[in-house]
Amino acid sequence: MGDGLESEKHKMNTGKVAAIASAQTELRTAWSGAQHIDLISAVVTQVFKGTGLDLDDVDFVLNSGSDVLDGRSISNCGFLGAMGAHHKEESRVEEDGLWAALYGVTKIASGAADVGLILAYSKPSESDVNLFYSSQCEPFYQRPVGFDHRAASGMQAQSYLRAHGVTETQLANVVSRRWQDAAQRGRVAIAAVPDAEAVLASVNVAAPLRKLMMSRPVDGAVAVLLASEDIARRAARTPVWFTGMGASMDRHAFAARQPGVLEACSVAARRAYDNAGWKSVRPAVAEVSASSAASELMVLESLGLAAPGHGIDLLDGADVAVNLSGGALPADPIMATGLVRLSEAMRQLSTPGLYGLKAPTAAVVHGAGGVGMQTHCAMTLEV
Amino acid sequence: MSRHVGIVGVGQTHHARRRTDVSQAGLVREAVDRALSDAKLTIEDIDSVIVATGPVLFAAVNQPEKWVVDAIGAQLKPVVRVTSGGGTGLAGTLAGYYQIAGGLVDRVLIVAYDKLSEGALQYSISTLYDPFWGREFAVGIMGFSAAYWRARMDTLGHTEEAAAMVAVKNRHNAMNNPYAHVKKEVTVDDVLKSKPLAWPIKLLDVPPISDGAAAVVLSSERMAAKSTDRPAWIHGIGYFCEADNAPSRSLLVSEPLAIAVRRIYRTAGITNPRRQFDLVELQEPYTCFELSYYESLGLCAPGEAAELIRSGATQLDGDIPVNPSGGCAGANPIGAAGLIRVVEAAAQVMGKAAGNQIPNAKLALAQAGGGWANLRGVAVLSA
Repeated sequence: MGDGLESEKHKMNTGKVAAIASAQTELRTAWSGAQHIDLISAVVTQVFKGTGLDLDDVDFVLNSGSDVLDGRSISNCGFLGAMGAHHKEESRVEEDGLWAALYGVTKIASGAADVGLILAYSKPSESDVNLFYSSQCEPFYQRPVGFDHRAASGMQAQSYLRAHGVTETQLANVVSRRWQDAAQRGRVAIAAVPDAEAVLASVNVAAPLRKLMMSRPVDGAVAVLLASEDIARRAARTPVWFTGMGASMDRHAFAARQPGVLEACSVAARRAYDNAGWKSVRPAVAEVSASSAASELMVLESLGLAAPGHGIDLLDGADVAVNLSGGALPADPIMATGLVRLSEAMRQLSTPGLYGLKAPTAAVVHGAGGVGMQTHCAMTLEV
Repeated sequence: MSRHVGIVGVGQTHHARRRTDVSQAGLVREAVDRALSDAKLTIEDIDSVIVATGPVLFAAVNQPEKWVVDAIGAQLKPVVRVTSGGGTGLAGTLAGYYQIAGGLVDRVLIVAYDKLSEGALQYSISTLYDPFWGREFAVGIMGFSAAYWRARMDTLGHTEEAAAMVAVKNRHNAMNNPYAHVKKEVTVDDVLKSKPLAWPIKLLDVPPISDGAAAVVLSSERMAAKSTDRPAWIHGIGYFCEADNAPSRSLLVSEPLAIAVRRIYRTAGITNPRRQFDLVELQEPYTCFELSYYESLGLCAPGEAAELIRSGATQLDGDIPVNPSGGCAGANPIGAAGLIRVVEAAAQVMGKAAGNQIPNAKLALAQAGGGWANLRGVAVLSA
């Protein structure tokens, strides 16, 4: 972090808020033996362990999930019991769970609440992920030509590779490494780790992206407990403080977005870093979301962790530990992926020994959503 | 610790059964333009945008905020969708309120809409129910609403005549609302003789199905003066839920509304709602619910709602006018209906109601709700 904490002028001007505990189910391609409510109640039960708190202490519940993936209108309504939300304030943020966390932080920062439960879950095994994305495309210009998330991701990757001379083999190396990391340290069910050759041999999805270069949709749930400063100091072994938050949504019209970069991700990161008073960015830990191997590199660059075209350099020997959990490529519980990143970063900051990290003090976490990652959220965490 | 938050601009569309002249995005733009103009601002002045809609199945575009962003010029701003059933407009306002109260930003644009002409409404609502235990017998919203009313009829005296008086009052008030969709006066006799849909609910107890949008601009105290010298200050706002164990739910009183009222009245210093409030805007949407809310909101004691409507106290010239705008009977674009209540209540205390301005209105209550009558909230607005 170094000089990161010097500037106070952009800091949020209200109470401090910490993430004090998290819980996550294993992420699997299909949790066929469990319903949504089973996954959700599993993490809700688990998240309080060791905090001395229980559901009675929770002032509000914010959750992320998708009616479309769930095949159910107002699906949060059906899960309120499992979420522990009965007779509490509850809202559905229908975006990645990191946005629900953002909402929760503002609510506690305002002084109106002390403890908030943030939940996100996903069961894409019961749905059709391609339709989930293509139904986000507007009906006049995009849908008639079959434009979708795969096309957007492929075109972004083409522009990115062309601009920087990054190769498909390098993308395959990123994928293989992330699956290794997930198998080793992530809470992800993995049958076999593909090597770079296997990645390059997998079926073509949208050139240059192969199937294994796309994030793999998985089922799972995650819970994060937020608390005001007073409660956090008493209930958490290592409170993880939110020091900066930023979000930004790019244009829907794909042709109007900047090719080969994620402009909204840069804007979100700048907001978060300004908010945190970080002048030069050097978090020790980064947990980021991405829907393809190319977009993961683009995200790392947008977050200022590497110069444009140099995201690949972070794969080996970098001073920032990137996606030690494996990130989103091997496990993308759509709508929960960013909140899983927060949960993973909390673990790395509070138990660095498990990850071979040396006393990290700061992390950046990132979530995204939409066709071709139209929207982004970045948060800075400090211990 | 919390910063004061005020509503400094409001706007809504002309609501209609089918707005074939605009797309969803165009509908949203219409409401946003009016709210920004009312606040003497442009989209450039807005720090953050919250889009609130009913379930996406209502209009068959998934995550529609990502389409809408281009139409309102909000690209690269933080944009997120909050969705919480029919009361989502209030839930969205709540999320925006905390972004300011929590010190993250100074100005938030909330826009809520539904374009119900573009989807299969009751089908979409029916997917609300549990696929294993609910859909066998539960369809749409009307069935359980009829059951609630039937139970309240015997115990609380919510007669068909009393409910018909609600229809007469609200449709009368809508006559003077320039944005209303339905402008047709009815008599008690018309309502009683209208076609039974799910007895005791009859056609004229039911609101229309509308296309429409509403928007508000929220501001911190620091920035409010740029827009108006008379904001509608938010003195309290909350949105509570009840989990899904239907057999144990009370049919006589809305528990989440009772909780919201208790908490928010305490925050806002409301001890005698009937005497303190100058008006109430509530999201009925069926006539029978307005009677129930009179009691839940403390405008009268349980069992006295029929007498309250009969006395004329809730008419325009009564001591506690309810729905001077006409309520949902005048227009019912579901996802926007909760925010329209906020817009109308705010306009009243800002002294610029488009239709029936209540003289010297200084304190207003807005109520909204959704789900299977299990999500309920209120907001207290003051000049």
